[in-house]
Amino acid sequence: MSIKSKWTPSMIARTTAAWGIALLLLFPLIFMGITAFKTELQAIAVPSIWAFTPTLENFEVVNERSDYVQFAWNSVVTSVLSTVLGLAIAAPAAYSMAFAPTKGTNGLLLWMLSTKFMPAVGALLPIYIIFQQLGMLDTTAALVIIFTMMNLPIMVWMLFTYFKDIPQEILEAARMDGASVWDEFKHVLLPLGIGGLASTGLLCLVLAWNEAFWALNLGAAEAGTLATMMVSYSSPEGLFWAKLSAASLMAIAPIVVLGWFSQKQLVQGLTFGAVK
Amino acid sequence: MSYLELKGVEKYYGDFHAIKGINLNIQKGEFVVFVGPSGCGKSTLLRMIAGLEEINGGDLVLDGNNITDTLPSKRDLAMVFQSYALYPHMTVEENMSFALRIAKEDPAVIKEKVEQAAAKLNLTDYLKRTPKELSGGQRQRVAIGRAIVRAPKVFLFDEPLSNLDAALRGQTRVEIAHLHRELNATSIYVTHDQVEAMTLADRVVVMQAGVIEQCGSPMELYERPANKFVAQFIGMPMMNLMPANMIPGQNDAAVEVGVRPEHFTLTAVGEGQLKGRVEMVEALGNETLIHLELEGSNEMVIVRQYEQTSVRPDEQVGINYDASQLHCFDAQGQAIR
Repeated sequence: MSIKSKWTPSMIARTTAAWGIALLLLFPLIFMGITAFKTELQAIAVPSIWAFTPTLENFEVVNERSDYVQFAWNSVVTSVLSTVLGLAIAAPAAYSMAFAPTKGTNGLLLWMLSTKFMPAVGALLPIYIIFQQLGMLDTTAALVIIFTMMNLPIMVWMLFTYFKDIPQEILEAARMDGASVWDEFKHVLLPLGIGGLASTGLLCLVLAWNEAFWALNLGAAEAGTLATMMVSYSSPEGLFWAKLSAASLMAIAPIVVLGWFSQKQLVQGLTFGAVK
Repeated sequence: MSYLELKGVEKYYGDFHAIKGINLNIQKGEFVVFVGPSGCGKSTLLRMIAGLEEINGGDLVLDGNNITDTLPSKRDLAMVFQSYALYPHMTVEENMSFALRIAKEDPAVIKEKVEQAAAKLNLTDYLKRTPKELSGGQRQRVAIGRAIVRAPKVFLFDEPLSNLDAALRGQTRVEIAHLHRELNATSIYVTHDQVEAMTLADRVVVMQAGVIEQCGSPMELYERPANKFVAQFIGMPMMNLMPANMIPGQNDAAVEVGVRPEHFTLTAVGEGQLKGRVEMVEALGNETLIHLELEGSNEMVIVRQYEQTSVRPDEQVGINYDASQLHCFDAQGQAIR
């Protein structure tokens, strides 16, 4: 008897290619993960050593030398607050653009996106001076503000696209039923748009968590996030590959875990609107 | 005094004058139907009454209160949408009770009202279902239920039957008529379907290009159309129009004369007031529509008769018209009486 194999040659080829690409993309991460458990000497060996006794020494040193908990706390505070603040601004903006568009709406959306065309460094000087004048350098508040501003265009765009998919008549029906703007938001828009809000929030949380440029320039010491902690391991005294890897691993671990558990939401958020 | 008054109501979209100063008085308990071709402004006018479109000029008075600038949520009107617009994340019960819950009514009262409405609309067994688990007809009934639970001042219907198939449309139309008789609620109903207009309305408002062409009872519109547009819009098949010189003895100002298909009768060649050649015969069972080309002009007319016919295409026939049922129109298309 013969059971027809499920594996046709084209499927094998495609699966192999998929795994190959995934490995290629993941290789730096895997390499970093492995390096974190090596000694500094093993870490810089060429060719790379693949058989070694793992050590936790790097993690101990990183923990001793820098206050991981403080950096991690800063990361949590800045990314969560900037995401909440961003959603609070972007949701009403997207709502009005989706349901009460004017002649200027499209232009406004495009303009907002265009602010992402410029490299962040182009705005560094004025923003640095503004925060300096306000006495806000190296404060969590400064990072929350800048992360919020950085993510706002993306948030408005994503939410706008989500809200666009909600039939306007449903909101009008709520209005006819006597709902105030707040009722309409709470009872209709929020339940129907919760997927979009969650995806948008999650994406912006990740972006804020991983942000390094502004974190380094505006908040390196007191307000520093995990990204700045990582960077401190490539220092003038030399590169410490193993410790840098250990620090990086500790920095990305929380967000990778979060991403893992919410990957369905994230993928939905990134591909929404692709298929109608 | 009327219950709902439209006083010179205007709507502009940029330079486009969509609603051109509409005056209309609606009495309490009246069922008024707005009918007209696509783009005539009937839905816009309804949405202006609802408050979903801004009113750019004139006044809207409901029950003695000027509500021209009142928010839709404060007008105490209920609307049934073409797409039903049910809340997809709520059950039928939650959909129907939403307005009352927003108004913070007593839960026991809400429950009772929802159950009453559900019983009226045969929805009792579906109260725990969500809209996507319902058929189109059931969804439409939920949308109507959502409106009647509230006992609003006026019901607004925006082409509520156009998403239903023909059989269901007929059935729901009868249900709406029943419901109106039972509740005696003031209703405004928008449709492009003249059958709905004729069967449901106490009064029909025929609109074209943002103005009211005529307003009256269905039979008034059918028997005494104010102009050519109404004459041709109401009635299926359309009223036949012929040059006035083909029918002798008309008013001097008459340019065209209209005859409804049922006011023509066929007779033998040479016996009728007019002559024609049969172009096509549509036997519909209960009636027969005979398409004819009139001799002496290339005008096409339709004759309706309720008996079967033996005439065949290309046959020559005589045609009589009922002289008491002629409609004369002047050069501007206005009826001459």
